[in-house]
Amino acid sequence: MLKINAMRWRHFYLDRLVQVFVYLAVLTICAVFLWILIDLLRGGFAHLSWNFLIESPRDAGRAGGIGSILVSTILILLVALGAALPLAWTTAALLAEYVSTTSKFGIVVRYSLQVLAGVPSIVFGLFGNAFFSIYLGLGFSILSGGLTLACMVLPILVSTAEAGLRAVPDSYRLSAAALGMTRAATLIHLLLPIAAPTLAAGLLLGIGRAVAETAALLFTSGYVDRMPGSLLDSGRALALHIFDLSMNVPGGDAPAYASALVLVAMLLCINIFAMKLVQNWQRRRTILE
Amino acid sequence: MSMSNNKKILLICIMFIVFVFGGLACAYAASERLVLTGSSTVAPLVGEIARRFETMNPAVRIDVQTGGTSRGINDTRNGTADIGMVSRALKPDETDLHAFTIALDGISIILHANNRVTTLNKQQIVDIYTGKITNWKSVDGADARITVVNKAEGRSTLELFLHYLVLKNSQIKPHAIIGDNPQGIKTVAGNPNAIGYVSIGAAEYEAERGVPIKLLPLDGVDAAIANVRNGTFPLSRPLNLITSCEPQGLARRFIEFARSLQTHDLVEALYFVPVEVN
Repeated sequence: MLKINAMRWRHFYLDRLVQVFVYLAVLTICAVFLWILIDLLRGGFAHLSWNFLIESPRDAGRAGGIGSILVSTILILLVALGAALPLAWTTAALLAEYVSTTSKFGIVVRYSLQVLAGVPSIVFGLFGNAFFSIYLGLGFSILSGGLTLACMVLPILVSTAEAGLRAVPDSYRLSAAALGMTRAATLIHLLLPIAAPTLAAGLLLGIGRAVAETAALLFTSGYVDRMPGSLLDSGRALALHIFDLSMNVPGGDAPAYASALVLVAMLLCINIFAMKLVQNWQRRRTILE
Repeated sequence: MSMSNNKKILLICIMFIVFVFGGLACAYAASERLVLTGSSTVAPLVGEIARRFETMNPAVRIDVQTGGTSRGINDTRNGTADIGMVSRALKPDETDLHAFTIALDGISIILHANNRVTTLNKQQIVDIYTGKITNWKSVDGADARITVVNKAEGRSTLELFLHYLVLKNSQIKPHAIIGDNPQGIKTVAGNPNAIGYVSIGAAEYEAERGVPIKLLPLDGVDAAIANVRNGTFPLSRPLNLITSCEPQGLARRFIEFARSLQTHDLVEALYFVPVEVN
């Protein structure tokens, strides 16, 4: 009797211990995020204003704002996603739906994507500079920067989308086939909508990696901080601006903090917006169909 | 119904992208253009000079890129850039290039004004920064521990300082790591036992305004802007614009502008020393 009691207590404490560890881990992660956020807020909030968001930088970034840099960043991001999304999602559809897991072709494609995912961003920068800027003659431009980033985010987009499509149970595919739906129709009307949250999550990871990129953009989209007049103009990305302010400009710390704060806020907004969009979209589909 | 909604959203997205791409491509109009690449130390200064040059010559666009001194030399040689930016004097094997100094960069060792030490030789500075000397007593100062203030990785002053002492950053044993010049000056002014180094322009400016710091002479040469300018101060380097052939047209006009009196305030705003061009 006593023995059973002791065992029960031991299990109880062990259970609690595990619980404490789990909470501790979660708290640590939250604390790191909060620490970064508070540090950024303390260093940059005083510098932040509406004018800071819309003006072009002056005095090597120490005065003025980041208006032109925000525009360049968004344009680079649009080019990158515009080029990468169609490619990535069709590749994922091929890997998940049209090729079996064990086929040689699929393995080769998957392996090359894994290698691509592990390549350091500076290598992408040098490749982008050699291929887009010099060989294709795009020069230092938003276009070559965006296309370089597209190459960089491809592996993330493909692997997340493939995982999302694979997670859809086979019974769905069988039912669709039984109803006489073609493979393409099944993919478009059934599988992609179900996999939408995973696609969105992958998209967000891709956006995060693209927006935070510095090394790959230094040699491709360049360092010019004026308002871009076209996609063939050079435009400085926000992460590069932060790097330059904190490393090369004496007295650039306050605007660097403020720019970093804007970058983090921008990423948070994009995340929340995309999550909401996917949620709404899925709810409407399930209600109406 | 939801399907048509989705299609609408998709259509709007596509229209938006087409509009942005197309509209921007149309707005692209070629004008007189100059591309500069090179040293990240020089780039912020040249960026500001370019901005001023553009406002005076509205038809001209000057794109300033970075990537480091060696990149500036490469790009100038192979013609990717019209002008390169180099944060050192040209080496003997680079005589094919033409260099034009637009500013000088000098750094000074600073101590608190109340520190008894008035001079340190190169070996003593190396020993202090590598942790072999840890007390001011060993260099004829008061009996107090030395606080070594170093610059953060990536600062051009750090590069120049390490180059002068022939050290690697990993050999330095700092007690405090600081970012920019004002921060370095504040740290030393607030600690009577600290030793640090900052851009000479910033140090002289603050010392003249009564901040309790003193600039140490190096190799018997006083740390002063005048000595950086006449080339006798050892801890200094020129910031150059380089071209592959004798500059013509726009490039020549820009280089002349960068070396003129009209840019001296920009040079001083980044704590560099302007060169006198007659």
